[in-house]
Amino acid sequence: MVGWEVPIGAAIAFAGGAIGTGWAQSRIGAAGAGAIAERPETVGSIIILEAIPETLVILGFVVAAMIILMVK
Amino acid sequence: MDWGYINARMRGMKSRLLDHRTLDALIIQPDIDTLIGELEKTAYRDDMIEAKGRYSGMPAIEHALRNNFVRTFRKILAFAKNDEAEQYIRIFLHRWDVQNIKTILRGKNIHVTNEEILECIVPAGEMDEATLTELVRQQDVKAVIDLLATWRIPYARPLTEGFPAFATSSDLGMLECALDRFYYQDALLAVAGTGNNKAIIRQVLATEVDMVNIKTVLRMVRDQVEPEEAKKFLIGGGFELDEKKLGRLLALHTVAEVVSGLGATRYRFLSDIPEAALEAKKISVIEKELERYLVQQGAKSFLGDPLSVASLIGYFWAKYNEITNIRIISRCKTADFPVEHLKEELVYV
Repeated sequence: MVGWEVPIGAAIAFAGGAIGTGWAQSRIGAAGAGAIAERPETVGSIIILEAIPETLVILGFVVAAMIILMVK
Repeated sequence: MDWGYINARMRGMKSRLLDHRTLDALIIQPDIDTLIGELEKTAYRDDMIEAKGRYSGMPAIEHALRNNFVRTFRKILAFAKNDEAEQYIRIFLHRWDVQNIKTILRGKNIHVTNEEILECIVPAGEMDEATLTELVRQQDVKAVIDLLATWRIPYARPLTEGFPAFATSSDLGMLECALDRFYYQDALLAVAGTGNNKAIIRQVLATEVDMVNIKTVLRMVRDQVEPEEAKKFLIGGGFELDEKKLGRLLALHTVAEVVSGLGATRYRFLSDIPEAALEAKKISVIEKELERYLVQQGAKSFLGDPLSVASLIGYFWAKYNEITNIRIISRCKTADFPVEHLKEELVYV
């Protein structure tokens, strides 16, 4: 019998990853915008750097999925 | 306040400053025309082309450098608008207002033509070109001060207070010292309080105050001015040299003694200056070393906290140094200064 703890746990895992990603992307985005304004040729690297924190939210999603699927 | 954005832009702009190799390429140019050609291959290209349309030779370089400098700092102000950074940038830009007012007062004092004064103006501060041009049009020193007061420009206050002393002695140094004192005290007041950024700026300003005071002490000692009289020209708020220490230095008798008196401070590097220069009372040699130290310390700010005002300060000094270096190179080209000695005159950061 699965109680209310499981969806709450999954939500916390996903939300933590999402908030972390948002915060990191805002900082990288601001600095990246500054870098692109001065050196437009760096746009490729900046897009890659901007995408790196996405791994956090993916990790949060995986943990949330594991909680829902594996906790019985 | 997003220091990440400002820091990234500052570093991007710094990457366009001339590196050692480019400066070396400028040094080896045989004359002023080839130097202009070489500058056209750098970030000064647009300014050089524009200046060449109106001037040639040295005036073209001066005009291009001035335009570039003004444009650069207007650009920084534009992207830091309405931010905490704007307040800090303005502190550094106000020194150009002070410098411009000093230039105008000097010009009026020695009756130089308005055109010549305007050529020496750098409208990088809050006072724009139109304001400065109107000031230059005034008849004499008194009229310049009166116009500043009419426009309620804050620099009128120290000048009005110092004018009676100037009127009796005709010593412009009194007014210049009053302006410097007002600028530094106003700037230090603006960054009073807690906070990393304010502390960084306070340190830079306090070091500059020390430099100004050391230069004043050296001149006073060289000219054998009475310590009590000389104290009137000192500025408060120094980093290491307070009124007591400066008073002790003023009581010394020779320039060499003052330099050795600074041995226990962070300005001990002055003792590396050849004794011959000290004995000949060559203050310009000491001033150059002090300037070199100030520029190197300022440019080192780039190594500080990237999420602070440090990169802004670093860029300010690095850009100022670059413009100074190019001016030195171009002036040496017109004076046929030997290439092998030219490198020693430059400051590399």
